[in-house]
Amino acid sequence: MANGTAGSPEILENLKMELRRGCLIVAVLAQLRTEQYGYTLRKALADDGLAIDEGTLYPLLRRLETQGLLVSQWREEDKRNKRFYRLSPAGDLILKQLLEEWESINASLNKILQEASL
Amino acid sequence: MTKTSSPDSSTMNSTELIDRYLQAVRFWVPKSHRQDDLIAELGEDLHSQIEDKEAELGHPLEKPELAAILTRCGSPMMVAGRLGPQRYLIGPGLFPIYQFVLKMVLLWIQVPVFVFIVGPVNLANDGGSWASAVLETFGDWWSALFIAAGIITLVFAIIERTSAKLGTECKWDPLKLPPVRKDERKPSLLKAVCELGFNVFGLVWLLLVPKYPFLILGPAAAFLKAAPILHTFYLPFVLLSVVALVRSGITLARPQWTWFPLLSQLLQSVLMLILLNYMIHAITRSPSAYPFVVSQYAVRDSPKYFKLVAIVNVSILISVAGAWLGLCIAAIVQLWEFLRYLRKRTSPPQRIASLGAQ
Repeated sequence: MANGTAGSPEILENLKMELRRGCLIVAVLAQLRTEQYGYTLRKALADDGLAIDEGTLYPLLRRLETQGLLVSQWREEDKRNKRFYRLSPAGDLILKQLLEEWESINASLNKILQEASL
Repeated sequence: MTKTSSPDSSTMNSTELIDRYLQAVRFWVPKSHRQDDLIAELGEDLHSQIEDKEAELGHPLEKPELAAILTRCGSPMMVAGRLGPQRYLIGPGLFPIYQFVLKMVLLWIQVPVFVFIVGPVNLANDGGSWASAVLETFGDWWSALFIAAGIITLVFAIIERTSAKLGTECKWDPLKLPPVRKDERKPSLLKAVCELGFNVFGLVWLLLVPKYPFLILGPAAAFLKAAPILHTFYLPFVLLSVVALVRSGITLARPQWTWFPLLSQLLQSVLMLILLNYMIHAITRSPSAYPFVVSQYAVRDSPKYFKLVAIVNVSILISVAGAWLGLCIAAIVQLWEFLRYLRKRTSPPQRIASLGAQ
């Protein structure tokens, strides 16, 4: 069964989700250039317009840590144990490469859109 | 977090509610997936959310406000599903092959087997009762369907897991890809004319056989004659020949009906199969040892003809069984062709860009 007809909100939502998925990783890595714990990271992302739910963020953080792009540490703050994350040196390098890629995609897309509008 | 909480919700505070929530999430999160770490982190996030909300409102949260935060977070089972690793029985790499095998086994193997083998066997066992044979066949097919689907799924699930561990990958050579098929079905005028001619000839031959038995028995017509069973089935065979003649006539007259040759050929094969089934059924119930031909009265007592009659009967029996098997295969192929035709007609035209540009 088809998920929806052309132009339906369901299709738009799915496409938006796909578009956001890759961007979220870059956004998380970029935010973690300064050390943060999960909740403050979520808040920061939401404040910048990239809201992300708990069920998506924590597995993503776990995956990035397993890949060696993040390092984490449990520490007590305000009488509560919190897990703080920050970018690892490998993560910093990857982030730079991802940002270059992002710039390249953005430039290509702009070029395509300009050509299409001619 | 693991302490037993009072069921009295009127005294419940935020910590207790979060603990209950986390306990429910923990139940669904796979134990191997760093459960404690994840749950602790989720708990911390929820506490932070509550603190923020309390700071915003300027008072401790009421139960409905706490419940609203947890509701927004999602049901424990859903949250656990998102926290856990992505799990699937058969991954995207293997799924097309799984789907293909499933379709092949369930549709192209099981259905014909049940229609042409299990069904007739049930019919014979039930003494010709169609209703009980259909019900029995349908029951058998239903069970076989689940068993086959289950086994195929299990095998693919095992392959999915073992191939991931073994690091195997699909090897293919682009140079060995099959050539592009020309899928245009062009109606052949020559074929239609030949078919019509053969069908006219066949019908005339069949109509002449009762008067001129040598047309079917050759010189043996002098001492052999048709058994009563052949007289019973003579008329249905004539009717089938008429159907075949009409069919080839329509095919020739209406070449634009591209669906007609495929469907009518299939129906003709099915009708022929039904007729042969009845014939085989009648033969198995016949008290005579010679169901197709018997010796003429004049030579009935001659022992040398007994053997000949027996040989001729066995030869015809083998021919009937061979025809039945051949028709089963033909019907499967024709059904496949017809379904493929329907699929092409109903699906939107999809052409590879390079082909379309030609």
